[in-house]
Amino acid sequence: MKSKIINMAEKIKDAEDRLLESLFESPPLADDGFSAAVVRKVNRQLWFRRLTLPVATAIGAAIAFKPLAALVHTLANFSALIPEDIVIGATSSIPQFQTIVLGAILLVVGLVSMRMLEH
Amino acid sequence: MLSSSTDNELVARAVSGQDTAAFGELIRRHQSHVRNFLRKLAGDYTLADDLAQDCFMHAWDKLQSYSGRGSFIGWLLKVAYTTFLQSKRKSKRYAEILESAGQVADQESRNAVQPNEEVSDLDKYLAVLTEEERAIMVMSYACGLSHREIGDATDMPVGTVKSVIFRGKEKIRNSFEIKDHQHG
Repeated sequence: MKSKIINMAEKIKDAEDRLLESLFESPPLADDGFSAAVVRKVNRQLWFRRLTLPVATAIGAAIAFKPLAALVHTLANFSALIPEDIVIGATSSIPQFQTIVLGAILLVVGLVSMRMLEH
Repeated sequence: MLSSSTDNELVARAVSGQDTAAFGELIRRHQSHVRNFLRKLAGDYTLADDLAQDCFMHAWDKLQSYSGRGSFIGWLLKVAYTTFLQSKRKSKRYAEILESAGQVADQESRNAVQPNEEVSDLDKYLAVLTEEERAIMVMSYACGLSHREIGDATDMPVGTVKSVIFRGKEKIRNSFEIKDHQHG
């Protein structure tokens, strides 16, 4: 008796579900260039993203070139201000002194230029 | 070649090689379901097709997040539903701004259904449902998604999905009865 009731309930539910399915049913929509339009948009977006970084880097480099050149010039002048005996003394005690100074200058220039490119 | 590939194979090709042709095949396969789903939710065919385009653009961006578990159409309808909700939120914000500027009447006249637009029986039945019920009923009865897939798409437990469907059916049943009484 109980199983009959359950079966009946399922049958009623099935009929209602079928009715709802027919009610909600829509004919399939033709593509009509829809997918082509989306793919074109995606391709445009891909190109835009691929170009964004190199273009931004080029623009950043162009903007940063003048102040960077000025910075290098100033640092070169600054190194000329260091008394010669200090340089000779340091070189004799630390043989790699010039390499270290050059490395430090390059590091500072690199950091500053990165910052300028970011801006 | 592409037409014989499964959805998961096409997704893999699109993600690994940025293959837009594979993604195009996915769009061709599923555009009808997505557009019909959004047409039933939005009630405006032009808006729905714009949203469908946005949905596929979002899907392209998020494609690597599709794990391959569950059907691809289920995942796609989740993206479509999110796109629809975002658009609703945006237009609500826009309406609020217009309201504060005293232009609400103008906006309403633009949003109004055109008199020559046909209102189907389904539109009337969908009108009695809330937005959430409508989305779930459409996913279930128009797109044939399982309760689990609907749960994944709407971030709801399966039990809640079932109760929303039950409630929606009851409302539609009642509106049928109302219609019968009116005609009888």
